[in-house]
Amino acid sequence: MNDPQLMEDDVEQELWSWGAGTDAQLGTGRLEDNNLPQLVRTPSLSSAPAISFLSCGGAHVIALTAGGGVLTWGRGNSGQLGLGDMISSLHPKPVMRLGSYFITHVSAGWSHSGFVSDEGKLYTCGDGSFGQLGHGDYQLRCFPEEVLFFSDKHVDKIACGMRHSLALVKVYGFGAGKRGQLGISKKIQTVNLPILSSNLEAAEIVGIAAGGDHSAALSAEGHLYTWGRGFKSTSDVYSPQHLPSPSSFSKVALGWNHALVLTDEGELYMLGGKHHGALSDSEMLNSMKSLPGDSREDNFQAVPALSGIKVLDIAAGAEHSVIVTEDGGVKTWGWGEHGQLGLGDTCDHTNPQTVNLNLKLESTAYDVKVYCGSGFTVAVATSNLPN
Amino acid sequence: MSYDDVEIEDMEWNDELQAFTYPCPCGDLFQITKEDLKLGEEIARCPSCSLYITVIYNMEDFLDHSNQKNNKGLEPSKQHPIVVA
Repeated sequence: MNDPQLMEDDVEQELWSWGAGTDAQLGTGRLEDNNLPQLVRTPSLSSAPAISFLSCGGAHVIALTAGGGVLTWGRGNSGQLGLGDMISSLHPKPVMRLGSYFITHVSAGWSHSGFVSDEGKLYTCGDGSFGQLGHGDYQLRCFPEEVLFFSDKHVDKIACGMRHSLALVKVYGFGAGKRGQLGISKKIQTVNLPILSSNLEAAEIVGIAAGGDHSAALSAEGHLYTWGRGFKSTSDVYSPQHLPSPSSFSKVALGWNHALVLTDEGELYMLGGKHHGALSDSEMLNSMKSLPGDSREDNFQAVPALSGIKVLDIAAGAEHSVIVTEDGGVKTWGWGEHGQLGLGDTCDHTNPQTVNLNLKLESTAYDVKVYCGSGFTVAVATSNLPN
Repeated sequence: MSYDDVEIEDMEWNDELQAFTYPCPCGDLFQITKEDLKLGEEIARCPSCSLYITVIYNMEDFLDHSNQKNNKGLEPSKQHPIVVA
């Protein structure tokens, strides 16, 4: 999946979705929840180049395809699909307005979207009520529009949360900032132009994440920084804070009340967890081992059931968690009311459960990536066919 | 158990729904009407799931201005962006 251009010819790919679906976010063509994985079969997907990256928002999905194209589907009432209207889309549709650009990174927030091109330009669309589009106003956009603030800078990545956005040049924040999620060292209601986040000047940031009112960044050395709304009941943090840990982290995924972090060795740790998305039982919390760290409240908690299991990929919904283990298995836990755990029921689970994905891929060598929207989950399985 | 406590200023007025709304983690919206608020109701529910939030507001704000359609003091915070120097 690392070099999209090499994938086009020899790739075999399946996209599965489950969970909340009443806004068309599952891409199945039906407006209903599904508590078991659904194979998404649509002409627009099968005729498009393979999906290289996906981002799921409140109720919409943005798929990045090999060759820099973009498909969107799901809820469109704020223009977040970038298709020029405010209508939901039952099926994946190409974002024609971005057709002349090579898009390299995308992010779907609660009701807004961001797209980064290979030239380092940032385009945003959708709800702008909190300034989260970064255009200097509070208007919504139905087509992706370039964020001119960055016209003389090179944006690498975009992360869209509930009402805020982060752009990686250095790290910039814009949108709602009441919970500190912009990282600009003060409480501020909204900002409609990007502002440089504080405290990260010395760090070489390579990854950013935004979820709910939380923000996070990863440095090249594997250091994790978080800011915004506190996990558990801790107070809000207005500047990026380094969370000391002996481990080096490779990925972070943010829910609305919890975070998942993955170490270079494939160990999974969680932050927060008094809500559905986490291991909420007090006895579970007591039995968990913690990574030593200075931060008293935001301790890294290991998941006992995953002890000794190497984790390859992580994703966090608002209140659920999804991982891919070394054997290619998908496991879920957390809030299950809309079937977002994919287990065939609507129960909550505090321990990771295995999802039965009936992959039809011919190859036995495949790679599974997982992505979460607020109340739904998408898994993309990709194999390289033998030549 | 209430999913969250949310200040009324952080909720958005939705003309279509004629209600103040706030994102629900399921993807839908927690909703509460002005009539509910006038009655002192503080629970905003999501029509799609079992979750609800507690709305923090001053009931008097709604009683005093019941005839005023566009009550500026109660509109969402986005109407009053803080200007950044």
